[in-house]
Amino acid sequence: MARAVEAQALDVGYAAGSTVIAGLDLAIEAGTFLSILGPSGCGKSTFLRVVADLLEPLRGTIKVLGDDPHEVRQRRDVGFVFQDSTLLPWRTVRDNIRLPLAIGQSRLTRRIDDRTDELLDMMGIAPFALRYPHQLSGGQRQRVAIARALLGEPKLLLMDEPFGALDEITRDRLNDELLNLWRRSGATILFVTHSIAEAVYLGSRIIVLTANPGRIRKDVDLRPLKGDGNRCSREDPKIVAMMAEMRSALEAAS
Amino acid sequence: MSEPRLTALLQAILYPLFGAASLILAWQFLLPALGVPAYIVPTPTAILAIFAKSGALLLSNLWPTAIEALAGFVIGNLAAVILAIVFVHSRFLQAAYFPVVLFFNTIPVLALAPIIILIFGLGMTPKIVIAAVICFFPTLVNMIRGLGSASANEHELFRVLSATPWEVLWRLRFPRALPMLFSSLRIASATAVIGAIVGEWIGSDKGLGALIIQATFNYQSDRLYAAIVLSSVLSISLFVIVVALERRFVRY
Ligand SMILES: Nc1ncnc2c1ncn2[C@@H]1O[C@H](COP(=O)(O)OP(=O)(O)OP(=O)(O)O)[C@@H](O)[C@H]1O
Ligand SMILES: [Mg+2]
Repeated sequence: MARAVEAQALDVGYAAGSTVIAGLDLAIEAGTFLSILGPSGCGKSTFLRVVADLLEPLRGTIKVLGDDPHEVRQRRDVGFVFQDSTLLPWRTVRDNIRLPLAIGQSRLTRRIDDRTDELLDMMGIAPFALRYPHQLSGGQRQRVAIARALLGEPKLLLMDEPFGALDEITRDRLNDELLNLWRRSGATILFVTHSIAEAVYLGSRIIVLTANPGRIRKDVDLRPLKGDGNRCSREDPKIVAMMAEMRSALEAAS
Repeated sequence: MSEPRLTALLQAILYPLFGAASLILAWQFLLPALGVPAYIVPTPTAILAIFAKSGALLLSNLWPTAIEALAGFVIGNLAAVILAIVFVHSRFLQAAYFPVVLFFNTIPVLALAPIIILIFGLGMTPKIVIAAVICFFPTLVNMIRGLGSASANEHELFRVLSATPWEVLWRLRFPRALPMLFSSLRIASATAVIGAIVGEWIGSDKGLGALIIQATFNYQSDRLYAAIVLSSVLSISLFVIVVALERRFVRY
């Protein structure tokens, strides 16, 4: 099976000397929904930034979609939903979602379809399409940011706590929307979250990172627990047991 | 219209109108009653009368000043925006030349004006240059700050999209800088007119500045006051244009 991300002996830090991630070995199969758990400050966002070619590793190698991360970024095969929504205040919701169409389309070899309306509906933000970001709640803003990342139809989607600002009901609904989207598109998703329940419910695989330095503490393939297409019920005893197991792993990591 | 909005409208428009009207009335009736002679402060009606009597003369002097102020405004601000864009893209050029620009800014424009007239002669050009110089510096400083005000996250967003430097400038830095650009343009709408008038004081027989000097030396105080009113109308018109553009381009 092809690898979406392959890291070997990866050291990452912001200044030489301070290593945030040390000696990370991680191979992620294409089509995986990888949930990433870990205590605050352990380097989850930092890892996503290396994958997206926003940060150079200090040592080690990393391949993304079988290629150098830089090439992948140039091809725009990666979508990124940032921890804060990072909407442009002078663009309406609609124009924020369409930002990927406004940038560098002529350089791209593949065509991006304008699926703005579909995404507005899917994210439940169609009524706000003409508003400006400052007129939205935090959760609405985050949904706009997700729609923007999805517009480019990335093969690899990096999501940094995308649903942190949402209420439970909306969050559950968007969890299912995201799973549907993942099943249909066959994309790989790296999904950082602080919610153990969400991580177990969504992931086909789950890793728990430790802090100082960031390493993999636990790595579990969830597919055996789940039905066809990564389907599961939040009440399933096996799923509940897995959540408890992840909780103790996270406690040990903190 | 709802009750609170009506009250807001009253406060925004009627109250200032009342304030201005009361002062004009005091000027019209109180000052003469206190014995202030008309050759020092002519009454508002006397100034209005001069508009009727010498309207053509006043207008023919308004145009040169208006053209100089507007041209200086456009050239000075455009130069500032372009230089700010250059500075933001080259640390070296900014480090090398920004201190020089800072130094030039410490020279009072009034002291610089005679030199500019020496260089450019007596036509409209030196007045345009003075108006441009006066507009230039505040816009340069605001633009450098504004172009640099996009957050690290916003730059990362554009990097993920592999935006070119041109796209980063046009789609991120420039829109980010617009509110700061407009706040310096508002100031420049007044200072550009000052620049043009100062230029005319020093060497010109045309324009509101020249008219002010002539009227002063000839004790034509009603004409002097009319010229002052026109200068103020000029600044206000420029200001209104700037605010209209701001409403159009800064919607959030
Ligand atoms: N731009 C930066 N410069 C220097 N150090 C940084 C920078 N960004 C993050 N760090 C440090 O790197 C470490 C990992 O940060 P990171 O943002 O990856 O954590 P995280 O796991 O995403 O945490 P959280 O769950 O709170 O978002 C932290 O100790 C942080 O202080
Ligand atoms: Mg983070």
